[in-house]
Amino acid sequence: MREVYVAGIGITSFTRLEYPLVEIAAYPGLMAMKESGIKSIDQLYVANMGASKANHQTGLASAVVDHMSLTPAGAEAIENGPASGASAIKQGFLGVASGMYNTVMVIGAERMREVNNLEATDFVATLTHPLAEYIYGVTLPSLAGMFARLYMEKYGVTPRHFAMVAVKNHKHAMDNFYAHLHEEITLEGILDSKDSATNNPMVADPLRYYDMCPVSDGGACLILATAEIAKKTGKPMVRLAGIGQATDTHAVHDRKNPTDLLAVREAAKKSFAMAGVKPKDVHVAELHDAFTILEIVESEEVGFFEKGQGHIALQEGYTKLGGKLPINPSGGLKAKGHPVGATGVGQAHEIVLQLRGDAAKRQVKNAKIGFTCNFGGFGNNVVCLTFVKEN
Amino acid sequence: MEKNIYAYKCRRCGHVQYPYRTICRNCHENDHNEFDIVPLSKKGKLITFTHLFNPPSDFETVFLTLGIVELDDGNRVTCQLNIPKPKMGMKVTGKVEVVRKDEYNKYHGFVFYED
Repeated sequence: MREVYVAGIGITSFTRLEYPLVEIAAYPGLMAMKESGIKSIDQLYVANMGASKANHQTGLASAVVDHMSLTPAGAEAIENGPASGASAIKQGFLGVASGMYNTVMVIGAERMREVNNLEATDFVATLTHPLAEYIYGVTLPSLAGMFARLYMEKYGVTPRHFAMVAVKNHKHAMDNFYAHLHEEITLEGILDSKDSATNNPMVADPLRYYDMCPVSDGGACLILATAEIAKKTGKPMVRLAGIGQATDTHAVHDRKNPTDLLAVREAAKKSFAMAGVKPKDVHVAELHDAFTILEIVESEEVGFFEKGQGHIALQEGYTKLGGKLPINPSGGLKAKGHPVGATGVGQAHEIVLQLRGDAAKRQVKNAKIGFTCNFGGFGNNVVCLTFVKEN
Repeated sequence: MEKNIYAYKCRRCGHVQYPYRTICRNCHENDHNEFDIVPLSKKGKLITFTHLFNPPSDFETVFLTLGIVELDDGNRVTCQLNIPKPKMGMKVTGKVEVVRKDEYNKYHGFVFYED
């Protein structure tokens, strides 16, 4: 296998965007081409989950490749639920590593705000088991609520810990121009004040409004290429060193131990093994905090902390910017936003920015090894990426 | 006739799985049609639950109580709860009722009640 490097990156704001989905996909692609000086590609992968449901559009990759005048490059859309982004990056990696392509553009793009919040939640809920879950009204927030309750009972995690994730990630997002939410919050404001019942209502008991990610539009892009091409860009050399993917049962109730996220554990293990690094070597991580509980649990399952210790590390400030292992310096899905199909590419974008040393005010000092966890379904399809900066 | 929710018992190893999948998760040996259909137990204990305050738009309720129940036969199911104050570990009994309807269809599923 050839080694694969990140030659260019680009991103849109994650927010409500008032332009069509193809443009949400094209702009980050153009940014990446501009900053890298790359003008032609061999292959385009577009990660997207909801175009056919929310935007009434299919064949997105063909639309995007033409919209960017990149024809006759190959183009495919990749749909793997909320893990579409990292899955598309994996496909891009395989293309370059195998020698089939020299330059692959990976774009993640989503326009969820074309429909209202309930419809957006519903199109994401269609990834649950149609007969054993979906018919009951199960949505992703409800799965997270049931999971959070079990975790509280077993490990002594409290709603205060969930809120700490939100407060931390909202704070991080304040320094991210592209984040969806620029809104600093406090524990007092969303939990203790007399207004908290109205500003932070219960959504899926025990999870509240501020435990949920927003519904975002957005796009992000990575250009993956050989060492030779990446070197010509003059940017710091960031190598995509490890990819791990694992799956778990479709229906959440089918899992032996309902507080385990085995796919996260397995995907992270494979990703670290491939990169030849250990969880303790990681300097910065982007975890999939679609719900605050998930950041805590993933930080344990990927191997940063022992099972049941994630909330303690969080409480002690270990995972905030300036702490020993900053998690979600971008603001995470919680505050940077969650345009589902684009999220995995957005996470990788942040890690590349951090490893290049270009993250400005939210820069993690001397970050050389970065990690992302892109969580599909309710943990039934997880892709973890490990990036290494080379001198 | 009393309505049931059915699980799939492997003719090779006897493992019962719910929901259906084409190959037995336990022995991986059977052909896709080598299952006996067996009704799931309707008694069990509540493992976890949530009150969902933004249910999907085709539900006409303000909130929806959802749970996971471990049945006496060892299988687990996701279900709706008709229990005002659920508690983890409580004994529950299920009925098969209409759990969702849209313009064209009615969907039957498990609704659990306090014992």
